[in-house]
Amino acid sequence: MKKILALVLALVMMLTLVACGPSGNNETNPPSQGGGEQTNPPSQGGGEQTNPPSQGGADLSGTYDVTIWCPEAAVELTKTQVANFNSSNTLGITINATVEPVSEADAATNMITDVSAGGDLYFFAQDQLSRLIQAGALMKLGQGAADYVRSNNEAGSIQAVQSGSDLYGYPLTADNGYFMYYDKSVIPEEHVDSFEDIIADCVAANKNFSYELENAWYNAGVFFAVGCHSDWITNDDGEFVSIDDDFNSDKGLIAAKAIYKLVSTPIFVNSGNADFASGSAVVVTGTWNYSTIKDQLGNNFGVADLPSFTVDGQSYHLGSYRGYKLLGVKPQSDAVKGAVLNQLAQYLTNKDCQLERFTNLGWGPSNKDAIADPGVQADPTLNALWAQNEYSVAQPNINGSWWDIAKVITTDIKASDGSDEALKAALEKYQASLEAVFEMSDEVRNAFTVIGALNGSSWDVDFEMTNDGDIWTSKDAFEMEAGTELKCRQGKSWDVSYGDPSTESGNYVVAEAGTYYVQLNAATGEITLIPAE
Amino acid sequence: MSKNENTLKRHMGLKAANRISNFFVYLLLIIISVVWLIPFIFIVLQSFRVESTYQVGYVIPQQWGFDNYLKLWNSDFKVWYLNTFIIALASAVLITVIQLCMSYTLSRFRFKMRGPLMRFMLILGMFPGMLTMIILYRVLSDLGLTQANAVPGLILVGVASSGMGYYVSKGFFDTIPKSLDEAARVDGATRFQVLYKIILPLAKPIVIYTILTAFMGPWGDYVFARYVAFGTSSGYNVAVGMYSWLTNDQIARMYTTFCAGGVIVAIPVTILFLCLQKYYVEGVTGGAVKG
Repeated sequence: MKKILALVLALVMMLTLVACGPSGNNETNPPSQGGGEQTNPPSQGGGEQTNPPSQGGADLSGTYDVTIWCPEAAVELTKTQVANFNSSNTLGITINATVEPVSEADAATNMITDVSAGGDLYFFAQDQLSRLIQAGALMKLGQGAADYVRSNNEAGSIQAVQSGSDLYGYPLTADNGYFMYYDKSVIPEEHVDSFEDIIADCVAANKNFSYELENAWYNAGVFFAVGCHSDWITNDDGEFVSIDDDFNSDKGLIAAKAIYKLVSTPIFVNSGNADFASGSAVVVTGTWNYSTIKDQLGNNFGVADLPSFTVDGQSYHLGSYRGYKLLGVKPQSDAVKGAVLNQLAQYLTNKDCQLERFTNLGWGPSNKDAIADPGVQADPTLNALWAQNEYSVAQPNINGSWWDIAKVITTDIKASDGSDEALKAALEKYQASLEAVFEMSDEVRNAFTVIGALNGSSWDVDFEMTNDGDIWTSKDAFEMEAGTELKCRQGKSWDVSYGDPSTESGNYVVAEAGTYYVQLNAATGEITLIPAE
Repeated sequence: MSKNENTLKRHMGLKAANRISNFFVYLLLIIISVVWLIPFIFIVLQSFRVESTYQVGYVIPQQWGFDNYLKLWNSDFKVWYLNTFIIALASAVLITVIQLCMSYTLSRFRFKMRGPLMRFMLILGMFPGMLTMIILYRVLSDLGLTQANAVPGLILVGVASSGMGYYVSKGFFDTIPKSLDEAARVDGATRFQVLYKIILPLAKPIVIYTILTAFMGPWGDYVFARYVAFGTSSGYNVAVGMYSWLTNDQIARMYTTFCAGGVIVAIPVTILFLCLQKYYVEGVTGGAVKG
């Protein structure tokens, strides 16, 4: 009897828990049928339909519960701006906003945890765009909203919210890049353009140089300085298919030497924080540390674009990534609320709100009119950022695992003895880690190369070929002995390769010594030698 | 080697040799304790620094004050602190009760499937709890116990699996002679009275140990707390909340405040240890004498 009673009690307890469930849910998600009388049909999933044009006949008036995620520093300001929106909008919209502090850097991680419970509007850093689109956490902008973004913002920021031909968010800032703050009492004005002089000054004064090179966001800039590139190729669904990257090259070696120049010194500090109070004379960081650094340095405050370094007599200006902070709108099941959120997002990213953020937080605007504002134009940090922008690379969509792979380059360089071999080994290790994870680009995969006992190599170097249709010709001419063997292969692998099936080894064998270009007809697999003049 | 030592000792006399070996032992202990204590002293000193809020290259503040603590009071910190305290306290009480009951049952009762049940729980307990994170999140989310309601959610998760941590206390209960139980039963004690009046007083150290671990677990929980309370400041515990101050754009403004938070977080744990330590020592010696 007791057992049965216990069982019944346990079941009742479970049932009450279950019964609690849906009601608790309803509190967090107000039923979307709220405006029942309105003629807005539930969205059918059609892209345009989720965003009725703002000037359309739809009546947006009403009170809406909206959760906004923004960095802690901007919470108060955002609350004020939402209040201003409530009092100024002519559509009768009242926003009942809950503003939660969530860093832009964590927005994607948090959204992807559970999109349905995430913020309705959220600030995020540009590199998270494709992750958020794939997770279904970003609403595609309708025609009206897209036109609004295109006509009001600077070109780079529009690209930052674009995927394919559609826009997925509103640019908030155009300042997510880094440059150099320095202590004028340690670094004389005439030295700020030279990486080597700055290092020498720091060593002489026994002051640190804070440059977060053990972070791919920073060390990639050194590679961009020498003309390297690292681009991700995505398909139409925003998935990463391959990488086109040449950090492991002769150019890359120059960058590695430059990195070694700093990391081999005792004054190197791997940090992007405001370190002037703890022994640094130079810090490479961004606008977000401006007020702290200004406070730390006082009259010795100096700010400039990154310096140039010299390797083998040639000078290279240090590069960087430049990025944007964006405002995303979560897709809504209620089309009316979706339209209201877009109205609010447009308000929060307009000229006045961006200027308020500039004045209160030092965030550099993306709105064209706001950029033209005299106060913004006179800002020393933004001027340093804009000067650096000429040498920077707009941050493209980047696969999340790349950051961890690329940051190791610096760690390896730091541990090496600085010789060419050791630096090359660091770069080769980087490439090997990349290839272990990612496929080569289609271009590389489809290209043919010549391999053999050529130019002193013995079947270990792939020589590039260029093509005209199916006819591939080697870029260089090779001096060949009679009896030299070679083959042409595709994608640097042996899956598809051509030689001469009539010979014993299957390789193409040179009959007569001379200097030849190698030509391959990929349709027939026939190799011919073309004598060079 | 030993021969040399012996001759050395003979020359110096026992007292001097002792003094020398003591000197090195103390030196080593002093070095270790300095290394161990410096971070704590550092964090306390930094929390009283008011002239700046960022990291600096010196330890002793130039201006002392309580600004950082005031800043904590005016931030969401007090909500986080209360959340953590409620979770830890509720978990400590419930987990202790459940775990001790469980151990007593498994130690003193003989019932069908007892052996297989114990083995099953042992094996189940070997899977890291993190594996269940995603499905637990879904369950909590359907019950409405995430984000702003993370506190009851986290208590539920912490308590639900606590019965499986029975090994240590069951092992201890097993060492208490059964004849004590039997004597009490003969005198007319119920099963509960046996647990309450005989076993628990004898097992004080293990009770204290259970309370401490049950309290400390949720107190320092980060991963699961973050997952359940994501993006909702009112549901954070201190670890999640304070970690949000460590981002690039905030650390310069919040560094000293973070230190102050660290001091406040350490207080209840310290008090708990100091209070319970007395019982802990008493329990051990008491148990030893009684055998």
